Amino acid sequence: MGASPSSSRVSAGRSNDPPILILTSLAEGDKHGYALLKDIERFAGVRLGPGALYGAISRLEERGLIEAVEASGRRRPYRLSAAGAEALRSALADLRVIVDEGSARLSRRAGPTPAAGAAR
Amino acid sequence: MRGSRTIEWLLRCYPPAWRARYGEELEALIVDMTGGRVPWRMRLDVIRSGASERLRAAGFDPGDPPAERARAGAVLVMWAWALFILGGAIVAKSTEHWQSAMPSGAGRAAASAAFTVLFWAAAFTGLVVLAGIVAALPSMARMLRDGGWRAIRARIIVAVSLTVALVSATIAMAAWAHGLAPRLRNGHDAAYGAAFLAWAVLSAATLLAWTSAAGRTAFRLRLPGPVLRLQALLACVAEGGMAVVAAATIAWWALVAESSPGALVGGPTSGRAPVIVPSLTLALALMLGATALGALGARRAAGAVAALD
Repeated sequence: MGASPSSSRVSAGRSNDPPILILTSLAEGDKHGYALLKDIERFAGVRLGPGALYGAISRLEERGLIEAVEASGRRRPYRLSAAGAEALRSALADLRVIVDEGSARLSRRAGPTPAAGAAR
Repeated sequence: MRGSRTIEWLLRCYPPAWRARYGEELEALIVDMTGGRVPWRMRLDVIRSGASERLRAAGFDPGDPPAERARAGAVLVMWAWALFILGGAIVAKSTEHWQSAMPSGAGRAAASAAFTVLFWAAAFTGLVVLAGIVAALPSMARMLRDGGWRAIRARIIVAVSLTVALVSATIAMAAWAHGLAPRLRNGHDAAYGAAFLAWAVLSAATLLAWTSAAGRTAFRLRLPGPVLRLQALLACVAEGGMAVVAAATIAWWALVAESSPGALVGGPTSGRAPVIVPSLTLALALMLGATALGALGARRAAGAVAALD
């Protein structure tokens, strides 16, 4: 028994996890590191450090979720692979379950709370 | 340019293979973000990421499958044992004459008991580590048959070369020591002392080179489940053995220091001798550090084996 193949799933984790942010950014089109950072800051308000960004990029590339695009300069763009798009869909569906459940619970909680306060 | 040197230094935090693939891109990104003057917060981000990549390269990725984690844990215990041996060798050298320098009595009997525990626990732990290596031999033979020699060749050559040098140096030192009076052999001949120190450094380098070769080999083996479980079990037992040896060393030191501190340096048994001996302090620090490292490895291996089922 040796090492098993790496998982191609991205854990839903938190919505500000670097892998999800990178996959989301690349869903719009190919980007290099600096463009990724700027885009992520714009749509998520998260400022990733260069170390955190490239740590996530290397793992995503290793798992086949993103691919490097040929580039002549030192700024290499990345693109979302088919497996990456599927992994992002799956992670977003997981997050949506939490969003829906959380919203439903909050709306249920919103009703009785003022009444309970008035009864006291 | 100062900024370039900083970035170059930061990139050295990453393992060479990672640097070869992403180093240029990361450097370009840092320059784009900072213009070359890297703020401390960013430096910490890169250092943390580089350390994480080095841990991954050494087989310590938390996302690794259980088989890989068990293997990495066992290899870490093997590294801990190598460091522990270095500490143990310093203890052995420092305590060569303690029994003859200590008067007989209750203190000596108790210290002798602690020393006996230390010795046999060390011997037992050595056998446990050896058993782990023997258990991996069939998998190693398979790896070599499948053409795995190329991956480990460089480290094995370094280890064998150091071993040849060590054997030659040992023969030369033994011949030299044979012609010296005991007093000169024990610190009163500067040239012999310097040569002995060089021999000790060569011994340590040889041990670490073999450990490095064994570690690299271990990461290339395809170990069956039962062997992985055995390796994890042996890693836990070896860690226990190191803890016992370290505890026995502390007990021995305390007992000798209490009744006859001069015996710690093999000197006179009366008068005010220091109880904190630099060589023993270094040895104990190495042993305790190795035991802590081994505990991390054993914990990782044991946790991974539970997930293997």
